Amino acid sequence: MELTAETGFKKPFKIIEPSKGLFQLELGGVWQSRELLYFLIWRDVLTRYKQTAIGAAWVVLQPLITMILFTLVFSRLAKIPSDGIPYPVFAFTALLPWSYFAQALARTSNSVVGSSNLVTKIYFPRLLIPLAASLAPVVDLIFSFLILLVLMVWFKIVPTWGLLALPLFLGLTIMTALAVGLWSSALNVKYRDVGSIIPFLTQIWMYASPIAYPVSLVPEKWRLLYSLNPMVGVIEGFRWALLGNKSPDFMVMAVSATVVTFLLAGGVIYFKKMEQTFADVI
Amino acid sequence: MSDIAIRAENLSKKYTIPATQRHDTLCDQLSYSLKSVFRRNERAECGDKTFWALKDVSFEIKEGEIVGIIGHNGAGKSTLLKILSQITLPTQGRSEIYGRVGSLLEVGTGFHPELTGRENIFLNGAIIGMTKAEIKLHFDAIVDFSEVEPFIDMPVKRYSSGMYVKLAFAVSAHLKPEILMIDEVLSVGDLQFQRKCMAYIEELRKSNSTILFVSHNMFAVKAMCNRVIFLSGGKICFDGSAEDAIKLYEGPNKTSALPWAQNAIGADPSQWDVYIENVETFDETGMQRDLFNYGERIRIRLGYTVRKIVSNPNFLVSFIRSDDVACCNYNTAMDGFSVPSLETDGMIELLTPPLNLVSESYKIFVLVRDAKFENLYCAQVGKTFHVRHDVLNTHFGVFHEQGEWFLPNEVVDNKAFNFTGGLLP
Repeated sequence: MELTAETGFKKPFKIIEPSKGLFQLELGGVWQSRELLYFLIWRDVLTRYKQTAIGAAWVVLQPLITMILFTLVFSRLAKIPSDGIPYPVFAFTALLPWSYFAQALARTSNSVVGSSNLVTKIYFPRLLIPLAASLAPVVDLIFSFLILLVLMVWFKIVPTWGLLALPLFLGLTIMTALAVGLWSSALNVKYRDVGSIIPFLTQIWMYASPIAYPVSLVPEKWRLLYSLNPMVGVIEGFRWALLGNKSPDFMVMAVSATVVTFLLAGGVIYFKKMEQTFADVI
Repeated sequence: MSDIAIRAENLSKKYTIPATQRHDTLCDQLSYSLKSVFRRNERAECGDKTFWALKDVSFEIKEGEIVGIIGHNGAGKSTLLKILSQITLPTQGRSEIYGRVGSLLEVGTGFHPELTGRENIFLNGAIIGMTKAEIKLHFDAIVDFSEVEPFIDMPVKRYSSGMYVKLAFAVSAHLKPEILMIDEVLSVGDLQFQRKCMAYIEELRKSNSTILFVSHNMFAVKAMCNRVIFLSGGKICFDGSAEDAIKLYEGPNKTSALPWAQNAIGADPSQWDVYIENVETFDETGMQRDLFNYGERIRIRLGYTVRKIVSNPNFLVSFIRSDDVACCNYNTAMDGFSVPSLETDGMIELLTPPLNLVSESYKIFVLVRDAKFENLYCAQVGKTFHVRHDVLNTHFGVFHEQGEWFLPNEVVDNKAFNFTGGLLP
């Protein structure tokens, strides 16, 4: 194989053929294009709050206002327990991964359709599109995290060693958003109905996740079924890692992680299968 | 082995056109699928039409070759390029690519209007396949080339369209792939811009890059390509020297349907009420020619076939310059010529006034409407003719006609004469 003088790239040898095997995922191509992934994320982050009056403050305001509302409605009015943790912190800890998830899912679902100008004009691993869309809102999450730290200081909550496990749960959150996003973004190319379903689905999903209420409120016999919702494990994990929840339900977390793994693997395979027709259908 | 850049073997691409409608909502698809479960044969009966945009296309391109791909609309040129640049997969066949591919199906792919010129250089550069290091290395050169330096930190949504294209092309022109595929991108922009494009191609050629080049612009094809593949109906109908291919392409006097008309009138032009079979051009003396001097009159003969009687027909002939500027139009209704009802096949001829069009090539568009311009019966593009003039080109406008000039004091004198002449002693 020759080396080209200018780039030092190994001369690639590509074969273009009709249909590939179901499991030929070409993840190596994604890795090779990581610079482009970086630029796509960078674009999403940069353009998000251009031409807004208060710019990045929205990132922090959204979960903050939701937290205040939740505290008023669910804690003050409905008297929902919060496992002995001050309710605002209890809610905000869950809103942290949830706001990210809702945001990332919304963007990822529309990512491929929204990039039709790219998809029909140039080749690059299509997986980069949903990948970038689901990674860009992580920046928002980090900002909200700073607010949480302020809240924790305010309510005098000392983090435990569980904090070290936080990246793990952050990873699980991203995987969840990406897994669902891969399915919905690929489906959205052919069926634009997905665009209408996702906001609705997100709303239902929020009530099916322990954001306003603790997992302990769910009856024991339904717990297993309940934890098939991957966001249950994620939120439970966040609360345990950040607040040192006394009685973490590790079974719930394990079930959720397993579900996500399968959902993600299926999502990647489905996406790769559908991407062959993206340029023709979009 | 090593000197082959692209090998294509029986590349084919099939598209399906649903016979009635597309099932683009989940609900439609579900009800459609349910129905077809119960009526197994429905799908075959109402027949989703399939058509081969590309059929058994095979060729080998050697390193350093510059190959033009020409063909009429719908011949499969873009499909071929899309397959070779991996945007879409072939239905059958295979292709091997030896080298780093750059494809420019448009300039400025992925430009984001909210981002500044500087930011878009990086984004677009990465999208078309440059590494960050390469973009950084060429950044100053790109800005220089684009001529938009003062505005580089302004969002591109505030750019004029000319600035936008220049910046976009500047990025593209710094992509130095081993194999480049270009689709018509060179036919945009002003003359100076096009010169830059040519210089870019020339530079690539010197560095022994392989170039695949789709174009309608026969001048460009002739100037750059040493080999031309002529596609027609998804198949290669000629593969060889540029001159021979262009002769074939500009074809004796055949016409083809305008794509937009297929939506307006019907997808199958052979079912249209009237069809212009051929367009011929002659000079005033009746010599068949397609190269005219500025100021000559052109005789255009249209041969048509009639499938359904058309009463009160109105023939329209327009000249469309190679950059798609509509230059002029003649039609029987406005020129005061009444055409009898079309009942059988026949011919009609137009003699233009002395044409003062500038030096360029012009396509002849032919439409048949009714005298009130309400119905459209056919719309086709016929042959191309060229006008030559040593000086007058598109910089001088569409037409060049003589004006009358005066010096101001002469005007005053004339006025003085007109107003007072005869009265003063």
